[in-house]
Amino acid sequence: MAFRGRGRGRGGFGGGGFRPAKQEPLELFPEIEGLGTAEYSTAQIELIKWSSSLHKYWNSSPYYYEDRSERPEKVDKPDIERYSDRNLLAGKVKPPLWHFIRLDTDHVPAELARGEKRQKLVKRVRWNPESDLQKLDLFEKLEQKHQGQEGTEKKENEEEEEEDGANEEDEGEFSDEGDYEQAEYCDDDEDDYNMADDNNDEPFY
Amino acid sequence: MVSPHGVQLATHLISSFYGDLCSKVCECLLRRGTLTLAQIIRFTELSRENVINCLRVLIHQNCVQAFAIQQEGAFGEAPRVITQYMALFDNMIHKMRAPKFMQIVSEELGKDVGSSDVDVVRESFNRLLIARFIERCPAPEPFLAPPADGETPAKKRAAKSAKIGEERQTTEQRALAAAAPMESMRFLMEMDGLSEEKSEECTNSVTVGEKRKQDVLKSDEDVLNADKKKEVLWRVNFEELVRRLRHKACISYVKTRINDEAAIVLSAMLELSRHSETRQKAENSAYLSINAIYDEVIKKEGGLGMDFERIRVSLEQLGCQCLETGIDESYSIDIKGIIETSQTEEMESVVLRRYGREAYRIFRLLSKAGRFLETDKISDTTFVEKKDTTKILYKLWKDDYLHMEKVMTSGAKQSLFLLWRINKEPLREHVLDEMYHAALNLRLRIAHEQDKGKEVLQLPREKLVGELEKRYKLLGKVRVILESSLMNLDEAIMLFHDF
Repeated sequence: MAFRGRGRGRGGFGGGGFRPAKQEPLELFPEIEGLGTAEYSTAQIELIKWSSSLHKYWNSSPYYYEDRSERPEKVDKPDIERYSDRNLLAGKVKPPLWHFIRLDTDHVPAELARGEKRQKLVKRVRWNPESDLQKLDLFEKLEQKHQGQEGTEKKENEEEEEEDGANEEDEGEFSDEGDYEQAEYCDDDEDDYNMADDNNDEPFY
Repeated sequence: MVSPHGVQLATHLISSFYGDLCSKVCECLLRRGTLTLAQIIRFTELSRENVINCLRVLIHQNCVQAFAIQQEGAFGEAPRVITQYMALFDNMIHKMRAPKFMQIVSEELGKDVGSSDVDVVRESFNRLLIARFIERCPAPEPFLAPPADGETPAKKRAAKSAKIGEERQTTEQRALAAAAPMESMRFLMEMDGLSEEKSEECTNSVTVGEKRKQDVLKSDEDVLNADKKKEVLWRVNFEELVRRLRHKACISYVKTRINDEAAIVLSAMLELSRHSETRQKAENSAYLSINAIYDEVIKKEGGLGMDFERIRVSLEQLGCQCLETGIDESYSIDIKGIIETSQTEEMESVVLRRYGREAYRIFRLLSKAGRFLETDKISDTTFVEKKDTTKILYKLWKDDYLHMEKVMTSGAKQSLFLLWRINKEPLREHVLDEMYHAALNLRLRIAHEQDKGKEVLQLPREKLVGELEKRYKLLGKVRVILESSLMNLDEAIMLFHDF
């Protein structure tokens, strides 16, 4: 068709040739001229308010899942701080999912389940039986010498458990999973691997 | 399968509420259908931990349903049980209309007062349960037994392939049916000897008035039962809420089409038959006796002055089927008919706005005819010029509103006839897809406007003077217009998809 046109174009059609199209930059969100007045009743405004507060809630909840390994440990402050960045750095750490979702096999498919939280804590404390046995021997010796010291150590473990229990309701600060585990793994040989294994469920099968 | 823009809209919703990672998993499931965990990891190229956590969130928020199915072992291996995940598209779109659901609940049960008192929460919970706004959560991983081999004796090839196609469809439906709690248990809360009651609010304990109501409505509220069996989790019952919206839509349609009285009678009938509606999209209401209707009508506002005669007139206008059993006359209303008429009108108005009055006439003619019509015949019946008719018909056909067939007559004079027709089902899906597209655009625009005005929105009120104040007001106006348009559009989406 184009070739047919060209032959005749010079003769009568004047301007029948194909000029290149005028290139306009692609504007994804063009400005709208003359916004009309949409009729909205007060009920609609209430819906809009609800919608915006729901949106904020979901975004701030742990359901808004972010990849933990991608987030840098320390956020560098930009050279020029803008006013809108005010809220950006604050409150970035979110509670882990299992504080809020039941992850036992009754409520979640088996391959996604995490096991009972209480059990898990107990397991954590009892991880690596060999080193614990050694510890027990040590404790027995220490017990004879410092009975008071051992008591406070056990109490510390209990307190940690209680704190974690209290942290369920408290939204503010609580230890990240990684911190809690690091304390237990500090005497392990494979430190490098364990850092990566922090959030992995595999060891508990 | 979900339409392409529907997938995009659902993905955008999940991404704006639950983050990009969750939306990647969602998109993968929506586009590729039901998958196993390993397949999801491979297709999304995310780490295993991320996929697992995203699935946990999505299951928790009712967007994904898991089920266990037996897979045939390959080459002599024993069959093994694998877990598959399916996306629940409807529930994802419901997130967009959560405020409407909250409005229904607040209209019926009143707003909750912001109090963290356990008894108040318990009472609200009970009221929600009685009104059936909440239900038990479905089973996390129901097992689907493979169909018995004896069911398919030697059949013809065609029949067997048809059965295979059918079976693939019904695997998801079977999973949903298997996961759903039994009808008798669905709204049942066990109350055996609760001594220690621990109402664990999984949501945050902020007790601002509206937030408290949100917390109560949240799908993750659970109450520890005294019996040591598994804990019951509750969630929002979308079926009931959609049913309410459906009734509302029917009533408002009848109000504009017929008159107020008919609307009152209809609302009375729908309310009476609401509890007997078991299916999601009930076609007819239950048969109701004239006395029952009368009793309900006079309770409504504006219905006090109505007597039997006027009710009968309205029933006739509504096109009710009457069943006379002896002395009692009972009526049933055809809800599906009302919905379908409403849909057709919506489509016709779209054609009118987009293509003009003449196109509207042609479209109406074709949709009423329900069969093939030839170009000349259309042109004569609608009093439109022949060449205009052809132009309009081609335009509509190009945009997928019409179906065309060419017929060549051989013989003395060879002529080409063009036949046109409307196919209702594909057309409905096409219009629905366009609406999803429009909703997506609206949401993107709202997000864009919010982002553009970020600086102004974060300033405290006192600093907003002069130019900034004007900008702030404009932002607010734009936001309200866009959001209310989205809500109106959402009503139309529900009309075509959920009602």
